[in-house]
Amino acid sequence: MVRLKSRYLLCEVCVSDRRNLSLLDDRAIYTATKAAVARAHGDYGAALSSLGFSVKYLNAHTGIVFLRCRKSHYRLLWSALPFITSLENRGQRVPCFLNCLHVGGTIRTCQKFLVRYNTQQLHRMLPLCQSEAERSEIRKSVLSCTLKKEADDEEEEDE
Amino acid sequence: MSTAKHRMRDKKMRNQPINVTYSSQGSSHWRNGGGTPTGRGHDLSPHPWGHGSSHSGHAQGGGWVRGHQREGHGGYPQALPTHITASAFAKARAAEVNAMLMAVTKTTGSSHVFGGLPKHMRRRAMSHNTKRLPCRLRDMANNMAGQKMKKEQSKSKSRKARRRHGNMLLEFNRRQRKNLWLETHIWHAKRFHVVKRWGYCLGDRPTYKCYRACYRAMSSHCLLQDMSYYCCVELQGPGEQLLAALSKLTSKETGPTFAAAMCVSGRRQGSVVVYRAGQYPLQPLGPVTFLWRPTTQGRGGQEDQGSQGSTHRQLWIWAHPTMKTDLLPELQAVCQCSEAVLPPAPVDLPVPQPAPTPTLAPGPGAGPEAAQTSGSGSKRKWSSREPEAAGPPAKKLLGYSTISATTPVTWRSSTTGIVISDLTMEMVRYRLIGPLSHSVLTETLAPATHTDATGKSRPSPFWWPDHCRDDCNMSLHQQQAGVFNMLRGVYSTAEVPAGSVLGLTVDDPRLTLPNKRSKAVTWSYGTMPSVVSGVNEERRRELMLKGIPEPLSQSSLWDRSVRDNVTHNKMTDQEVNRLRNDVLVPGSRLPTPLQGRVPVLLVQQSGKSQGTEMGSWGAGWDLLLPKAWGMAFWVPLVYRGVRIGGLRMSLKHTQNKGEPHFPHDYPDCPAGARFQEEQEAELLAKFRRRPPAKRTNYIKHGCLAPFRCPWQQLVEEWELIVKEEEGGGGEDAVVPMEQEVTPPQSNFTVLRNRKSLRQLSAWCRPTSSKCQRARNPGSTPQLNRNVAASLLSSHGGSSLVWIRLSLVTKGQPEQHALVCVPTAEDLQLVRKEPGCTGPQEPLHTDHFKSRVKRPRKKDHNKPGTSSSSSANLTNPSSSCTSALTLGLWPEPLPSVTSHCSRVTLGWVTQGDFSLSAGCGEALGLLSLTGLLHTLLRQPDGQRGLVLLRNPGSLQYRFAKINIEV
Repeated sequence: MVRLKSRYLLCEVCVSDRRNLSLLDDRAIYTATKAAVARAHGDYGAALSSLGFSVKYLNAHTGIVFLRCRKSHYRLLWSALPFITSLENRGQRVPCFLNCLHVGGTIRTCQKFLVRYNTQQLHRMLPLCQSEAERSEIRKSVLSCTLKKEADDEEEEDE
Repeated sequence: MSTAKHRMRDKKMRNQPINVTYSSQGSSHWRNGGGTPTGRGHDLSPHPWGHGSSHSGHAQGGGWVRGHQREGHGGYPQALPTHITASAFAKARAAEVNAMLMAVTKTTGSSHVFGGLPKHMRRRAMSHNTKRLPCRLRDMANNMAGQKMKKEQSKSKSRKARRRHGNMLLEFNRRQRKNLWLETHIWHAKRFHVVKRWGYCLGDRPTYKCYRACYRAMSSHCLLQDMSYYCCVELQGPGEQLLAALSKLTSKETGPTFAAAMCVSGRRQGSVVVYRAGQYPLQPLGPVTFLWRPTTQGRGGQEDQGSQGSTHRQLWIWAHPTMKTDLLPELQAVCQCSEAVLPPAPVDLPVPQPAPTPTLAPGPGAGPEAAQTSGSGSKRKWSSREPEAAGPPAKKLLGYSTISATTPVTWRSSTTGIVISDLTMEMVRYRLIGPLSHSVLTETLAPATHTDATGKSRPSPFWWPDHCRDDCNMSLHQQQAGVFNMLRGVYSTAEVPAGSVLGLTVDDPRLTLPNKRSKAVTWSYGTMPSVVSGVNEERRRELMLKGIPEPLSQSSLWDRSVRDNVTHNKMTDQEVNRLRNDVLVPGSRLPTPLQGRVPVLLVQQSGKSQGTEMGSWGAGWDLLLPKAWGMAFWVPLVYRGVRIGGLRMSLKHTQNKGEPHFPHDYPDCPAGARFQEEQEAELLAKFRRRPPAKRTNYIKHGCLAPFRCPWQQLVEEWELIVKEEEGGGGEDAVVPMEQEVTPPQSNFTVLRNRKSLRQLSAWCRPTSSKCQRARNPGSTPQLNRNVAASLLSSHGGSSLVWIRLSLVTKGQPEQHALVCVPTAEDLQLVRKEPGCTGPQEPLHTDHFKSRVKRPRKKDHNKPGTSSSSSANLTNPSSSCTSALTLGLWPEPLPSVTSHCSRVTLGWVTQGDFSLSAGCGEALGLLSLTGLLHTLLRQPDGQRGLVLLRNPGSLQYRFAKINIEV
């Protein structure tokens, strides 16, 4: 079909100090990424990648970010991501790095990947729990995050 | 962004997750819809500030309110803990997974289910037909489609189930709850365009082309019509009382009344125009036909009326259904019958026993009457929805089923002893038109055969064996059969005196149904069997001259008990077919079962009785049957090669006969006025359906009222014209007086005084022709001013005359054509060259055209200037356009007489090319004042010459007036 194709990057913001997570903001990520691209690829690269660039989704609790850019120039953005070392928000500097988990053609695939990724993490956590209270908490959250159908599927996977 | 776009976007993003940040925590929430995920989101997100700080385990949930921002960072650096707890970590992940799952699984944007399908699985027209979707999505799609699907589901009975007999009957009964069906409805519905009219479903015209064929049938063979929709009202009571009461409704001036000697004896059927009681020249109701029951001499002991002697009479009045609503109250008032008798007079129904023929129909409750008489009056089955224990669940409706059970159909008077009962749909009436209708009848019907002696010994559930037991009855039956057989030798139906009545009892005509449809022919004198020809020649001549002798008009059809008996004991078609199957030699005549005798009445319908040419055209017989026997007689009649006509053909029949047709040509009757209104609305709707550029502009054609005839205005204007001309002599006092007297609505009448009509008829003919003079020498006075004035004064100015117009040369008149007075030049033109086409009307200008068009332009501009003021401006103009239709003159009309170049006399009610006359013929009404005024000014040789112009044409045509009495 006739449309502008995009790439969606699913990234994880890793901060050394968890308290700084409260400073996370889509605008902060936007400016930091643009600055990184400009630094790595110059004005030309910054201009190309800023076309259609946006932060589609940000979850400060988990530090998950969806970035969108044009498919033709997503490599410029992708290659610039490792050069981000800090985010700046409200005059405060947060040292961090962005870990790219997935690159997708639609936001749907990214969402699907994220679902798989998160459930996998939770399942991994479950056997490593130290206390009984923790274990029950995690089990509850694992159960809560599964829709009926998915729950069945995952049980099968576990077996 | 417009609100619609917003809404679209909101709908599209409904299930997409939104950002979750600490700073906007207070305002943001999980927007991902649904019950449980939101609940979980709340678990996680907005903890009160203080609570979050004290409880380290949930500390990361501490909501950050916008107002606390600045000091938040400086003042409470401990807001978030430095370490990660497993539960908080898991909760955050779980919430996110939920949000993502929601986004992934729910369809985005459009509400179609197939939006979630990958492209390669989409199919054309999936939204239209859910069966193109994969199975797993079908339920969802059906739910979304909602109401549309539900409607289809309610109809989803299989065809087989729908066509099952009981279900068909239920469906038929449901469908005729509003409009009655005749017994031949199904037959008609397969072959005719059926219209709903007067509370019935009637066949209008056949779907095949047969206009000329039907005309040929009428003039040389036979045309059959179902006239069962005509309503019958029965009056019973002492003869003198009845005659006295009915004489108030009629006047001798219009011709023979109810008391005409031939009719009272019961030998002839009569017809009269009924007026409201004592109002004679004013307020007519319409024409009715009536039939007296012959007095029962010599068989008094048997009949229940016999004890009261011959003074107890029975009368049937047949009226058009639109007239019945007016006629019934009038009859009740005249006869002082106010007591409504709820259940009709109890009739002794012989209970059908396990009968001689094993195939007898078990029959309680075949009709509404039966249901009442068998004791379950309240459980009348006309709705037939409730299951009844006794009989089969659905019964075929017979008779007058649209009225409710509690509506009385019988009224009795305590003072006069007259009983009026409404016999609507109690009898079937078929009309056979054409010179060979007697041949069709004699071929179809066979006089009833006698039952053998064994049947006489014991009482029978059927009426015929009882009837046979009496010798008087049998001799009467033999005489009737003799006369009926004599009809075979008659050359044409018209030879029998008009209105003759013949009672008869016939065998079930299904028993003698031919294998193939064939055409009934008359016996020419050479081929006639000697039994019929030689001996009976003398008697036949006597029959033609004197008519059917009086006692032979008696029939058992007059007895309600016999009618009911015959109706309930009718063999079904299935049983007849089984009999046919059991016959040893295929095709031989079936043995007549006991219940196969039907009393019928044959009534001769006179043909064209007025005028000189085409005498007795369209004569025929009416066949009266008890109800439920309609189809049993219809199909055998059709198998004798008759044509079937509908309503349209009956209109053409009367038109060719030169008689007024009931609702059309009676504008002074309430039914006629109603009909005119309906017709106007219909024609106007049809006119408005055309695109404006393709409509006839009637204003330009000088036609004021193309869809109706403003008779009242015409009559008033002609009165004014005549008065002004007389007033020119010097009477000034008249003029103001007539302006004061503004007559009320519709006080015009149609002239029906025979004497005056005869005078007019003589005056309308050109007096130069010799034969006219020779025919009636001096019987009518010569036309002059004084005689005309006296005629006018005796009838009042507001009279109309019903006339027949035949065009002199070319032209085909249409409905609502104008009849105009020719000027002196026009008459001279005709005298010079008789074949001339006639004058032309100059084209009128349409002053309303600009007024009609202007508001339209404004409407086009309206989107540009969509302010409240412009809306206010356009509103009155748009209402103006609804009143103003392009090409139609708006109300009130200007003077209708003097609008065109020729003065208007009246209008045509129906017009067509007449196949019988070979020229255009029209029926119409003229103003009596105008007609006399015109006749006085015309030269003797050209009297009765008028101009006729169609509403959509400018050409005038010459036409001759015929007034026929």
